[in-house]
Amino acid sequence: MLETVYVLGGGQTRFGELWDYSLTDLIREALDQAIGNTKILPTDIDTVVIGNMLGGETAEQAHLGTLVSGLLPHHPPALRVEAACASGGLAVHTACALLESGKAETILVVGAEKLTDVSGDFVSRALMHAADAEKDAPSGLTFPGIFALTAAAYMHEYGITRENLSLVSESSHRAAVKNPYAQFRKEIPANVISKSPLVADPLRLLDCSPISDGASAVVLSTRKESPVRIAASSLASDSLSLTDRSSITSFESTREAMNRALKESGLDRNVIDYIELHDCFSIATLIHLEDLGYADAGESIRLFLDRDTEANGSLPINSSGGLKACGHPIGATGVKQVLDCFKQLTGQAPSQVKNAKRALAHNLGGVGATCTIHLLEAL
Amino acid sequence: MDRIPALHRRIKEIGKTDSENGRIVSFTTIHNPPAGFGSVPYAVALIELMSGKKVLAQLTHEGLTPAIGAEVTPRLRKIRTMGNGLKVNDFKYEVVSASTEPVFNIRAYVLALTGPSGVGKTTITRSLLSLFSSLVEQVPMYATHKRKKGDLEPVVLVSEEEFDAKVKSGEIVAHTVLSDRSDYRAGYRKKDIDAIWKRHRLPVVNTDIRLLDGLAKSVGREAILSCGLLPPGKSKRRMLSALLHRLRSRGLDTEQQILDQLKAAEAHLDAFDSHSHLFDHLLINDELNECVESIKEIVTPVK
Repeated sequence: MLETVYVLGGGQTRFGELWDYSLTDLIREALDQAIGNTKILPTDIDTVVIGNMLGGETAEQAHLGTLVSGLLPHHPPALRVEAACASGGLAVHTACALLESGKAETILVVGAEKLTDVSGDFVSRALMHAADAEKDAPSGLTFPGIFALTAAAYMHEYGITRENLSLVSESSHRAAVKNPYAQFRKEIPANVISKSPLVADPLRLLDCSPISDGASAVVLSTRKESPVRIAASSLASDSLSLTDRSSITSFESTREAMNRALKESGLDRNVIDYIELHDCFSIATLIHLEDLGYADAGESIRLFLDRDTEANGSLPINSSGGLKACGHPIGATGVKQVLDCFKQLTGQAPSQVKNAKRALAHNLGGVGATCTIHLLEAL
Repeated sequence: MDRIPALHRRIKEIGKTDSENGRIVSFTTIHNPPAGFGSVPYAVALIELMSGKKVLAQLTHEGLTPAIGAEVTPRLRKIRTMGNGLKVNDFKYEVVSASTEPVFNIRAYVLALTGPSGVGKTTITRSLLSLFSSLVEQVPMYATHKRKKGDLEPVVLVSEEEFDAKVKSGEIVAHTVLSDRSDYRAGYRKKDIDAIWKRHRLPVVNTDIRLLDGLAKSVGREAILSCGLLPPGKSKRRMLSALLHRLRSRGLDTEQQILDQLKAAEAHLDAFDSHSHLFDHLLINDELNECVESIKEIVTPVK
């Protein structure tokens, strides 16, 4: 990082089917929470960045930067960024770049998505906008379908079982029980997950992150100090379509973003105390842990069999419940991950990892077509 | 997708596309179709075509049960009906060969040697065979053409029709069109590999990257002990110049053939990076004995 970028804190709405909230209501609540929790004056914010994917399609609302700006008394300059499910991570990355360049000093970063005003098959089709419109979508593929293809290939290649996969979702649900913002605060045993309805085999309903509404916000600043700074902010891209990849059981963008983040921060991957991982599907969790370098190819299931990923384990991930159980309002996710990392580093997390000093937020867009990684460090 | 000009462009593209057979890389059944695709579940597969290009497409309801590695052939079929009643046709693929289930168990494996032409695969294989004649046996390659005069590889020549029939029946488990000759097809028979195991020996394949990829997909990556062979040299340029020297001193090819092979070798060296998941070990073939010795260390006898 060219400048010290401090994370002042933030806030979020509950994630879930929030029929009483419009997209604007969600953004307003996250914004109010963020300003309240960080105790800044609204006028301290000199720039707004919002990450959102489907405002136009599902909420009939575009021009979101200005929409957020209009909620503040002094209408600061604002912009919206989009990288499918990595829109939130991209918003944080964009904010870091603006702060490092000196274009801004205190930025409100928002992530928001409103999905439940429309039917499930409409959302399914809209989410396919994250894939290649000419190569992927015409086959009638869905996003669960795309990850099912990676899951089938992974299971064929490494021989993991249906029961293995269920352990991943089980651990997310166990973690979410304590998180007041989570969509599903309920433990679900692995055998129930293995019997949930098929969505796209081998993936079942409880392998998939849900369709959620929600918004989240963090405040980043180079002017105001805080006990947490951003040690690295990296962005990597791969081909949009699965048909252009040499491997579908590993995502090059994660590998590249991780290498860049480690290089930028000068940190080793083994000093990370907590990880917010983009667990959009159970299979994705396994692939990410291998791509991040925490397990060899085909071996990451070990971490779940040994319960290493629990808050008191050797590699705590998604103690918030992750996308699976906390919910996945597309654009809000990447910002919420940074917020949850901040909570872990300041001792405010509902499932607190003891003495967490460094945390990693991994946000993925499409089937590994975009990846952002943020490393946060307690000072 | 429901926009008429977009459909028009797709129809034009279909008209230009050669219909090619392919192999299933992975497949799934969509139980919750997106808007516009009805409500009946359908199977979608990622397919690698003979040319190496990959496509995502639905599978037809006719044909055999899909499986990873199974052979498919394209058919023009109705894929959906639009809101205005217009029926949309596109390629669906029909499974035509018996599924190639993973046939090898993990304890028994195949030793695969992969590397660019001239790196010394044949020499190393022959050296392994003579040193460990009671342990190692080479898997014969089935091919439609002899690669070139003086080639020392054991090749069983079959006609193109025969080759296709063997692929269709599942007798040949991995096959490819070799990149430099569109009519040159090569592959391995499951029967030959099984027979070598029955004799409690280790099958060796002397292969190229596409054939290796095919083998990994049809028999399971874990059943292959895969060694990539690199020419000596600290940089890619030096490696290629070492190859050039070897190819020339071998005296089998014309200068043009050598240049073509060098171009292929460059792609091959890049493939060691882009397909690193296909390799367990990368060995530099500098000194023959050393290289054979490292392979000996890597290989443990088949139980």
